[in-house]
Amino acid sequence: MGIRDRVARLVSELPKEPQYPAQGRTLFVDLETGEIESAYTPRRILETLLSGRGANMFYLYRLLDESLSPLHPDVPLIFGSGVLTGIVPSAARGNCTSWAPESGVILDSNCGDYFPSFLRMNGIDHLVLYGRSPQWSLMLIREGEVEWRDGAPYVGLDNIDMRDRIAAALGGVWTRDMSMVNITRAGENGVLTAGIMGGPKAIYARGGTGAKMASLHLKAIVTLGHTHEFPTPQPYKAYNRQIAQKLLGTSVVKHALSRVGTPFLYRPSRLLGAMGTKNNQETTWTDALDAEHIDPYRPGMEGCFRCPVNCRPQNDLHRDLSDRYGRGDGPEYVTLGKFGPNLGIDNVEAVIRLNNICNDLGFDTASTGSAIGWALELFQRGIITTTHTRGLELHWGDPELVERLLFMTAVREGFGDVLAAGTRAVEQGHYSSEALKYRMAVKGLMQSDPHDARILKAFALGLAVATRGMDHLRNRVTLEINAKINDDPAFKEQLYGGPVSAAPNSYIDKELAVRRCENIYAVGDSVGMCRFTTKLFNSPSLPGLDEFSAQIANVTGFSLTPEELDRIGLNVMGVERMINHRLGVTRKDDTLPDRWFDEPNRHGAYKGEHIDRAEFDALLSRFYRISNLTEEGIPIESWRRELEATMNAH
Amino acid sequence: MPISVRLPAMLGGEVVTITERVETIGQLVAALGRARPGVSGQLQDAIFNFAVNDEMLLHDVPRHPLNDGDVVEIVPAISGGC
Repeated sequence: MGIRDRVARLVSELPKEPQYPAQGRTLFVDLETGEIESAYTPRRILETLLSGRGANMFYLYRLLDESLSPLHPDVPLIFGSGVLTGIVPSAARGNCTSWAPESGVILDSNCGDYFPSFLRMNGIDHLVLYGRSPQWSLMLIREGEVEWRDGAPYVGLDNIDMRDRIAAALGGVWTRDMSMVNITRAGENGVLTAGIMGGPKAIYARGGTGAKMASLHLKAIVTLGHTHEFPTPQPYKAYNRQIAQKLLGTSVVKHALSRVGTPFLYRPSRLLGAMGTKNNQETTWTDALDAEHIDPYRPGMEGCFRCPVNCRPQNDLHRDLSDRYGRGDGPEYVTLGKFGPNLGIDNVEAVIRLNNICNDLGFDTASTGSAIGWALELFQRGIITTTHTRGLELHWGDPELVERLLFMTAVREGFGDVLAAGTRAVEQGHYSSEALKYRMAVKGLMQSDPHDARILKAFALGLAVATRGMDHLRNRVTLEINAKINDDPAFKEQLYGGPVSAAPNSYIDKELAVRRCENIYAVGDSVGMCRFTTKLFNSPSLPGLDEFSAQIANVTGFSLTPEELDRIGLNVMGVERMINHRLGVTRKDDTLPDRWFDEPNRHGAYKGEHIDRAEFDALLSRFYRISNLTEEGIPIESWRRELEATMNAH
Repeated sequence: MPISVRLPAMLGGEVVTITERVETIGQLVAALGRARPGVSGQLQDAIFNFAVNDEMLLHDVPRHPLNDGDVVEIVPAISGGC
């Protein structure tokens, strides 16, 4: 059955009226014909998976034809905003979902800034995009109505110029009444580490989103329209004020996120001896990149729609205005790590400049930095030579080289064509299979963050089992790095629903903590809450299931207890694993890079730590058991049947 | 030899020298409270970790032994970023 038949059948089953007053439509957009159909996510799906990431998975489950390939235009690209997106402080997020061309498993990438909220302001909760436009197109959503524009004039533009040109052409004002998601040259050229930009820095980064959007010949989606309040069964603003007070009263927000942003994390990671350095050959790096050294280059902080936290640092290198990359947004901790220690770079100005280049070229800094780090190690080891690099000498600590590689990758020039393949460089015949030993990836996705998880076993398990690949934002038990919580067993037990060993390098009961985090983060993504301000990620004091439950009731009228929301988080993971299973994922894919099993950590208080294969395997089995998964990592039969029935009911 | 305690910027950023004899981090925190009463209450905040001689401690911190001449750093540790 082709995509149009699948969509027609699904649309025929969906409600034509909203299930609660503030619910937005789901638009099914055929880019080949320009035809659009509209419906609403049914209540049974909302009560099983919520909206945002959760309902995105419902649409992917129903519409995916796994006999195709990820970049086939009949594989849909789905944008979705959460139930509370645009309504609750710090809930400004949405997900985009598909089959990932970079990894080969699910693509599910989260982004904030303004687009997810403004999509809702236009009365749209989900966009299901499929088919290839005959020519490059630009989709304009104005006051809820879709208009088409010729995308050709914008082809070849990267992020800075694209945003300037769109603002001039459409007359809207960013952050007030206009938002956009767009691809850059890297996406147009099918670079697998390119993302979909959602702002000056914000990006749907992971899994090859840019290449996927290009496969539909869609350069950008722009929203125009004024913000407004939402009709709800119960008042919600008073409770919003409580949530905002809770956010701003939390120590980590007050002291770190609002003042410095995530680069704060660099120092604790390197002092721990857990800072991935030179493609994780080493685990500590210079103090020259500590957040305090970024202070002189940070003129202020910015934030997403109606978020009181404002955690996004601006940067200014105080250079001549003609330097296109002398100022910008960021860097975040991930970029600092991936373009600092990961590449052997110790100059803070160089890292900031590379960050600004990545934001313009539309790169996922995690996958791009990892692909470059992988290549540098292969060159160091002689696994690739100047024959592979077409004459380039690859060395650690060379920002000029990295800058050149970024521009070459965006247009697939020379060795840039190899880097554009990301994790797939071996599969595509660029490197020998020996290279896989040094690839820091799981399920075909490069590691999202620079943390070396040989020490913290809960971190390691999370990276192994994350459904989209090696990514910390799906389930990281981040508070394992917090000594005061580790030393308070009763409080830790309360947080994770059972006793969890205080020792970060212990395997004991770490499955409980990962399970609890994976559930709450999946719910957070499905209501649209930022991960930074979701309970358990940066603090035990931030809004969590209790607050989500209360505000879901106010906004939708649905009664979902915190316990039911926890189950919904599990359901989201279950559906993702069912889709991944259709794509060939099994237990053997819930693993870690060889390096972490075979090479002990050589720095810090935890020198000698590595991942023990037998202990890890036992931990994985325990995780499967408490997650209602079979020994192959898919939902047990009774639960699978239940989920299938819910997904297919009409 | 005394023990040096490096405070983070949010607690003043100074280096405090503890000359009274302390054998553990727990005793050091108590001594620091006497030397800098304003800091004592703030150290209860879960955001603060301790590093000794540039090695971060993640558990069993109050009983961690100290030696003369150790350099202790109080490290604000946010735990998750992107």
